[in-house]
Amino acid sequence: MTPLEILVAAATGQPAPRIPVFCNLLDQGARELGLSQKDYYARGENGAEAQLKMLARYGHDNVWSLSYVGVEAEILGCREILFDDEGSPNVADFVIKRYDDIAKLEVPADITTHPAWQRTATCMKVLRDEVGATHAICAYITASTTLPAILMGMEKWMELLMTGPVDLRDELLRKCSDFCAQELAAYRAAGANVLVYSTPFGTTGFVGMKRFLEWSLPWMKMDLAPGGVDGIVYYCGMAPFNNVIDIVRTELGIGVYYISPLADLAEAKALLGDRALTCGVIDDIKMIHWTPDQTRAEVKRMIDIGKPGGHFLFGTGVMPLAVPEANIRAMLDASFEYGRLP
Amino acid sequence: MLTDIIKAYNEAVFETDKEAAFLIVDKALASGLTPEEVVFEVVIPAVEEMMSLITKDPDANLAQHFMTAQIASEVTEAMLAKFHHPPEVIGRVVIGTAAGDLHSLGKRIVIGCLKSLMVEVADLGVNVPAERFVDEAVGRNAQVIGISAMMVHTATGADGSLKVRRILRERGLEDRIKVVVGGAPYRFDGELYKTAGADAWAADGITAGRVIVDLIRQAKTP
Repeated sequence: MTPLEILVAAATGQPAPRIPVFCNLLDQGARELGLSQKDYYARGENGAEAQLKMLARYGHDNVWSLSYVGVEAEILGCREILFDDEGSPNVADFVIKRYDDIAKLEVPADITTHPAWQRTATCMKVLRDEVGATHAICAYITASTTLPAILMGMEKWMELLMTGPVDLRDELLRKCSDFCAQELAAYRAAGANVLVYSTPFGTTGFVGMKRFLEWSLPWMKMDLAPGGVDGIVYYCGMAPFNNVIDIVRTELGIGVYYISPLADLAEAKALLGDRALTCGVIDDIKMIHWTPDQTRAEVKRMIDIGKPGGHFLFGTGVMPLAVPEANIRAMLDASFEYGRLP
Repeated sequence: MLTDIIKAYNEAVFETDKEAAFLIVDKALASGLTPEEVVFEVVIPAVEEMMSLITKDPDANLAQHFMTAQIASEVTEAMLAKFHHPPEVIGRVVIGTAAGDLHSLGKRIVIGCLKSLMVEVADLGVNVPAERFVDEAVGRNAQVIGISAMMVHTATGADGSLKVRRILRERGLEDRIKVVVGGAPYRFDGELYKTAGADAWAADGITAGRVIVDLIRQAKTP
């Protein structure tokens, strides 16, 4: 079976030789090609080349479209990204500096014509041509309730959300939701088949249950309504969300859940059962300091929890550049070994 | 009466209702409480109560942290203007985000919390070079340097808190100035603060207040 068929089998509860294994090696691409992060992210071809090289070496099941969170901000007018060879790029110029800027914020009529999207499109085309038929191609899409944090900074967004004018807040959210729906459609059209919907406000760790129900949930529905939930992965930026899994499953119908390493994986698996794909996510920040043996032991622990009953995927979180190569290898070797199915 | 005021104020803070919190403060003042009593009998105990609740309550959330600090800071500021004598400051802190890090929310929550606890805070902003953290701490006679980092590479990188530690060591200031760190990466690895060269860490902006007050007490007076 191809990795893509293994993924589909896990999602639908069909027989497969092993569980799917996802590994996010996005920032590692610069090192792979011997480039600075800035040069690496400047060309779409780089992202594809690096992803394919690492895929050949490690044998995991997925690749990523060339992406960093700031790309979304760039399409919406951000003029400066802070690159750092030690880690992920960072938005350095907020599009919304004052509340007045919300009215001026324009969502392009077609985001795929924007220069910042062209790098992504180039990367996606190479990946689709090379491995689109056999592997999962992942894309990262920020939810409307979180996108303002990239456009104005989390501090100012929290201030607007909690104490600012409601009409202004909703005007911004409408624009962000429009952008989100467009981005989802653009990634689907470009060949992405795993759409990681990043929604930290979709957990009660960011807002309380009342606000989650009355505010987060309706905006998530609006983001996802135009294109549906096929291929959507519910991801809360590594924050736990077990307590809302049932609600999200019922209200949004999403079929894949990326469980925080801080959450109780057994509880999440029990909650989802065979109704959805549970993704167990290793704490890859601890992997910076673990030994390969400690890494293997954690992989085993997680797969022992998730594998029984199927509908389980093993995955990583942010995969910091500081994670040693030996631990990446130990994690993947262990996940293939312990993830074998009868 | 004081018990009722405290209860009502705590509820307003827990519900993130700033308007209600200020109304309760106004009523407390009208009923005869002094501004000093409002701060020391109502606001500070409320912050301490939130510290305790956040530790125990699985549904405690970022919005509550933000509003707790915001309300406490604004009420304290309003009351300080009415104090008969300036209050005694329990210590001084300089705070900012690590070099390369532009995430300012956590820092703001910590600052709001510390102000209400009568700690003098200098906000150095975002993307702060290590040398500036130390120079400002020395210049302001601060006992604690607070460094916020939301990304792994800014939390553990050579230019962040590790460099602050190195400069403190080279200048013989380690006993006098303590380093506290906070931010998302530390929540995933409780030992990461040691790798980052810090004396302590806090899981969230509100409990950071307690951690920093403890560190102020540990720092040796020059």
